[in-house]
Amino acid sequence: MEASVLIFGLVNSATLMLVALGFSLIFGLSGVANLAHGGIYLFSGYVTWMLMNYLGVPFLLAVPLTIIIAGVLGALIYWVALKRVRGLHLSEVIATFAVGVAILELFRWMGFVTYEFTLPVFIKGSVDIAGVSIDYQRLLIIGIGLLLAFALWVFSRYTKMGLALRGMAQDEYTALSIGIDSDWAAALSMALGSAIAAIAAISILPLGIISINMGYEVLIMALAVSVVGGLESITGLVVASIILGFAKTITGTYFDPKWMEVIYLFALVLVLAIKPSGLFGKFKELEERV
Amino acid sequence: MSAKVGYRKERLDRGIKARTDDIFAISTYREILYLILPRVFVIAGLLIFPLLGDFTGVYWQNVIVITCTIALLALSWDLLHSVGLVSLGQAVFFGVGAYITGFLAQQFGLPPLVTIPLATVFGALVCTMLLYPVLRLRGVYFGLITFALPLLFMRIIETTKVLGGTEGMSGLPALPSIAISLYIIITITLVCVFGFQRLFETDYGLVLKAIKDNDRSVIAAGFNISWFKAQAVFIAALPATFAGAFLTHHYQFVGIPAFATDYSILPLASAIVGGPGSFFGAMLGAFLLVPLSELLRDLGTLRIVIYSVILLIFVVGLPEGLYPYLRRKYFQFERVVSMELEEGGK
Amino acid sequence: MKKRISGLVLFGVVLIGLLIIAGCGQSNTSTGGDSKTSEAKPIVIGVATALGSIEGADSLRAVELAVEEVNAGGGITVKGEKRPLKIVSIDTREHEPGLPVHDALAALEKLITQEKPDAMLVGSFRSEVMLSAMDLIAKYKVPNIVSIAMTPEFEKKLQTNYENYKYNFRMGLTSANLVQYLSKTMDFIGKEHGFKKAYIVNQEVLWAEGTAKGVKKYLEANGWQVIGKDTYATGASDFSASLTKAKNGGAEVIIPIFDMPQSGVLLKQARSMKVPALMAGFISPAAPDSAWKTFDGEVDGLVNFVFEIGPLPVKAVNKSMTFNDNFGKKFGVDQQAKMGGHGPGPAYDSVFVLTDAIKRADSLEANAVVDALKKTDMEGVIGKIKFNENHQVIYDIDPKTSAIGSAFQWVDGKRIPVFPEAAAEAKIKLPEFMNK
Repeated sequence: MEASVLIFGLVNSATLMLVALGFSLIFGLSGVANLAHGGIYLFSGYVTWMLMNYLGVPFLLAVPLTIIIAGVLGALIYWVALKRVRGLHLSEVIATFAVGVAILELFRWMGFVTYEFTLPVFIKGSVDIAGVSIDYQRLLIIGIGLLLAFALWVFSRYTKMGLALRGMAQDEYTALSIGIDSDWAAALSMALGSAIAAIAAISILPLGIISINMGYEVLIMALAVSVVGGLESITGLVVASIILGFAKTITGTYFDPKWMEVIYLFALVLVLAIKPSGLFGKFKELEERV
Repeated sequence: MSAKVGYRKERLDRGIKARTDDIFAISTYREILYLILPRVFVIAGLLIFPLLGDFTGVYWQNVIVITCTIALLALSWDLLHSVGLVSLGQAVFFGVGAYITGFLAQQFGLPPLVTIPLATVFGALVCTMLLYPVLRLRGVYFGLITFALPLLFMRIIETTKVLGGTEGMSGLPALPSIAISLYIIITITLVCVFGFQRLFETDYGLVLKAIKDNDRSVIAAGFNISWFKAQAVFIAALPATFAGAFLTHHYQFVGIPAFATDYSILPLASAIVGGPGSFFGAMLGAFLLVPLSELLRDLGTLRIVIYSVILLIFVVGLPEGLYPYLRRKYFQFERVVSMELEEGGK
Repeated sequence: MKKRISGLVLFGVVLIGLLIIAGCGQSNTSTGGDSKTSEAKPIVIGVATALGSIEGADSLRAVELAVEEVNAGGGITVKGEKRPLKIVSIDTREHEPGLPVHDALAALEKLITQEKPDAMLVGSFRSEVMLSAMDLIAKYKVPNIVSIAMTPEFEKKLQTNYENYKYNFRMGLTSANLVQYLSKTMDFIGKEHGFKKAYIVNQEVLWAEGTAKGVKKYLEANGWQVIGKDTYATGASDFSASLTKAKNGGAEVIIPIFDMPQSGVLLKQARSMKVPALMAGFISPAAPDSAWKTFDGEVDGLVNFVFEIGPLPVKAVNKSMTFNDNFGKKFGVDQQAKMGGHGPGPAYDSVFVLTDAIKRADSLEANAVVDALKKTDMEGVIGKIKFNENHQVIYDIDPKTSAIGSAFQWVDGKRIPVFPEAAAEAKIKLPEFMNK
């Protein structure tokens, strides 16, 4: 029992982290709360499916293609919708929300509601760890999650591009004055975040069937993790995913699984009410409330 | 410096607008009409509509009921927005009102005449208390929490099975007739839109507006802004909880769809399309979007996509909204004037 | 800047225009069953349901198929005049979680008041919409034969005010019937393989919760040991908690009751966690013929249900075989393979039940049709069709005397009916991973 809680707690944490990484990255780097996140996530899933089933692209090629397409979509959303309302938080939120809903409902209208939409797993089969059988795909999710988080941490701290983006997030005027192009930075962060959403989709969706409503669920998960962890810190993100992921598994195992999906919302509301900047958020503390 | 001549547009008040601004004692009929005609047109149109029942059919009468519901929610959104609180979850207010009515009607068998006013006031109180702890939040944070609240309520009712669980409560007492329903909701909508407009012309409204513009200076001026915000939330919740209570009796049903996201998105879209900040705009938006969505009903889910695209266009391209645009055309005219260009000017 | 903005607006307007055109193009094709047979005024059948859902879309197709068959025979004779059938449909979008009930009712009311249908078929998708729609039907007095929503409240509500609600009939299965079927299937499995330990996992929706509780009660009263019963919220996507408990508790049968797409995760996760138990219950994504391909064979050994036969060809009921063939011919084999386990069978039959009643009543007047409907006694793709005193089609285990639902097992890429015995074509086999 304990071993399975530990293992599946980790899987759930990694899933949450993967789902939230893209969202958190965009918010941290460009200050845009990208409510189209769920839309982009599902878009990536369906695009991979369409590439494989309509065009016959092999899986290994469809994956990088989808990641690139999602990245382009992210940048496009920035150039078409967000560029003109930059800095107006309300308009940004509404614009991205509208884009997300449009994407999801368009797929619904196009008839992507039947039960045939699945993505293949990377490696079939499962392995026994401490008496618990677990499939390779779930192990891979843990691996990919950790790898991506680490890569992003390095990117945002030790590469010029990452530093430029972070500088932009911290103080736009100063960053402008030392020659960082604001639009370029924001579009890049949108593209990166969307590409990461695509990676998350491609690793998580093979566990089940792709369905439209997941787009909305994913958005809530991403919001919950990012808000609990603090909207711009990768450490916070990791810690929040672990807290929520284990809380979910423990609730399911020792309490009652029906409360598992309530946890996100509860945590989201609680943290927003008590400490909106999240457990690890720092430099936005002054702005968040009066 | 050789001055190049360029052209620009200039806006001026129409003469009639300038003449009718202050002194009514010397106004002509034409000027008085100019002032009151738009209002009379709206009020009379809405009041006559229910009388045309035979011509319009029940279906369109129901559409107007729903339109007014969304208009009330949009007005509520607009009031919150005017205090600097951006709500992404008008469904909270709607759902709370709906559930209180449903509970009162089912548990105590009270008639709509009692349950609706009770639910309106009591629901607004509940909402204010719910939101009080988060009123100090600024920016997107308040939006996010209102976004999460209806979803949380839905999940909690679903999981704990209180208040009818997923099945909801059906077979609640109905309102006497569609014409009466229409008159009630149309009257309330008109009262709200004109009332809110007036409210924001008073000194009290000035404080509320100032909170949005610069909360810190309002604090510096010695106002307790949390208290003012709480009052604003209460006032804003009233039309929304009323809408919930009213629609519950109109359809004799309440269930978790009362917290549906449509009740959050449609009012938001209406206010944005109509023009936030001017209550008439929110109403105009609702009266355009809801009937439009009925006309597009055959398109199924596609109409949500169309909605989203419209919303996007307005947010990004025409953030001012329709109402301020129309208002400007009514009161002002534009003309092209020449001007001297400085060097390097465009 | 100004120019750019108007560019965007233009782009948006063009986009919306294109969307509307595309939408019209699509919606036109969906109103099938046109009347080319004669100039007589057609009998209008209204279908107001969630057309975007699997159940709703399949049901509409089934109705179209049935109407085509009736019209091919020249329509039906009412008062000496041969009249064709015509379908008018509207999408209530009930399957979308964000949709308020009033919106679905508005759609229904629009269809009734504007198209003036002589009868309504298929009906609401969500239970709560169906219950509130009964009040609307009472107002407009249109015979209404529903076949998707499953709540037992339907019969209770009908009893409370019979005169008012008598226009409503239901062809689909109720959750009470489902309990009965599941319980009997468990008996069957218990007898066959000596299983006594079960684990129930179900979705947090009314029909599933009710079914799960009923099954649990039955099993416990009949010598089974129910190791656990867990409920998952709609949208849940991790079932490890229950699966671990089932595995550790030594469950021999896992009874899943779900109609959400995410329940596919449960199936795959159970396989990957090597839970050595037979799965027997309802998992909607694993019901269609195409599920074998979707799950890449991982459904092997699963015992699943079709709520009403029809989408599952059963040799004991001849009509269910021809129905599948004809469905495949009209809409393509691909579409037939995707048909879900709930809806199409009774939707198809409801057209014939209705035309039969109209013929017998020799009238389109609602009360006369209702009286004739009550006396329905005919063979359909779902078995023998008879209504009980609460206007619910009787479901039992023999297709010769009642309508049936059926349990089937996935074996080597095929769905083999295994229960009830009268329809069974093979015995339940234990999947390979259980024969150690």
